[in-house]
Amino acid sequence: MVSLVRAELRKLLGLPTAWIGLVLGTLTAPVIVLLNAPYTRRAIAAGTLTDTTDLGLRDLGIGLIGPMILGVIVVSSEYTSTGPDAPGARQLTTTLTAVPSRRRLLAAKTTALILVVAAQAAVTAAATLTLTQVLHGEHAPTPAPARVAAAILYWTLTALLAYAITLITRNGIVPLTLLIINSSVVSVSYLLTKVTDLAAYLPDIAGAQMFIRSADVPVEIAPLTAGLVMTAWVVALLAVGAVLFHRRDV
Amino acid sequence: MNTVRAELRKLLTLPSLRLTVLLTWTANLMVTYAYAAAESRGESIGDNAALAPLGYTQAGFLVLGVLAAASEYQEGGQIRTTLLAMPRRRHLQAAKALALAALTLPVAAATAATSTLPADGATWTPAATAYLTLTTLLGAAVAGVVRRAVPAVVLLLGLYFIAGPLLRARSAASASYLPDTAALDPSRGATASIIWTLSALTLAALSLHRRDA
Repeated sequence: MVSLVRAELRKLLGLPTAWIGLVLGTLTAPVIVLLNAPYTRRAIAAGTLTDTTDLGLRDLGIGLIGPMILGVIVVSSEYTSTGPDAPGARQLTTTLTAVPSRRRLLAAKTTALILVVAAQAAVTAAATLTLTQVLHGEHAPTPAPARVAAAILYWTLTALLAYAITLITRNGIVPLTLLIINSSVVSVSYLLTKVTDLAAYLPDIAGAQMFIRSADVPVEIAPLTAGLVMTAWVVALLAVGAVLFHRRDV
Repeated sequence: MNTVRAELRKLLTLPSLRLTVLLTWTANLMVTYAYAAAESRGESIGDNAALAPLGYTQAGFLVLGVLAAASEYQEGGQIRTTLLAMPRRRHLQAAKALALAALTLPVAAATAATSTLPADGATWTPAATAYLTLTTLLGAAVAGVVRRAVPAVVLLLGLYFIAGPLLRARSAASASYLPDTAALDPSRGATASIIWTLSALTLAALSLHRRDA
């Protein structure tokens, strides 16, 4: 199993697009904290920003394009054609020749993805929060370790969500489009919360409440419940994806 | 003219384009409905309700352009056959752009009408149609340079949905230089959309002309 995970890690980190995801995801949040520093300082001085407990943590909700790309690419790369000279061949054929047990393959893939994204999230959270402390130290309280852990969990679950959707669609473009539009400033999920209160239980809206306190949502969910709601979404989609992966032809 | 017809035929027979159009229309209907429902609940989102849904569904048009251009480079390297049949690359590029524009225009008009007409924004329909067509051409041009669908989609959507809104929020002055401002504010961003699309198309033409297939 260890060698399988190592192989999957190597395959994932050998993809140029995965590196785009790693670099984009890791840099976005700290850069935004830096760029917004003058505005944040002015807002604190003017008294318009009274609740500073979310400072820094809120910015962690933005770099999610990184885990999304990683989650999608780890599956979609298996389904792209290997090259112009063998258009019918897909990497998955080779992978399954090496590891015929699909269940073990999927377990190894999931573990590799979780390892990479959790490491990325930890680095990003550390960079973003340290930067926030340096820039607004006197106003921003040090966030509780539980909230930082929740932010890392949110990143990992987002990657797994992208991964599960890609297992179902077997194509990278649909899940990427869906997820990137939804990570935009005014997301579709946020729009839906204006239409129905049930939308507060969508994975991205519920998940963010694990670590952000002052979210603009119709239904406030306690952090633990929020985590459970998002995990339930991910588990359900992963179950569908796993069954399809197990049953379908390559 | 024959080349344009051939290119149009190639586009019309791609199943992925058909699927993209259907998904875009479905998404557009849903978002338009969501905006109308939010409005009737008295929760305004702030943007122009006639154009705001198009801010989301333009993603479908970007993907449409990317898939149309990247299809030549996928799987069996169709571009080699295409160039064998039509070796003059500049003509080929022009025919491709024309064919894609001809295919997109009706799709864009239908999308623009579904979102603008219910919100009493009929005057915006022509501008929105033109904008969506230009966006598709921009997507195709970028994919023509990148040559792979997934990285091109990541690049375009990242710029349109993450970098663009952040830049606009940071400095209002940058808005008139971004290609996607026209989606919400046609009078302000139209020039930028046209210039970005034309430069991207020129870059794609140069890249096709200079690079090996």
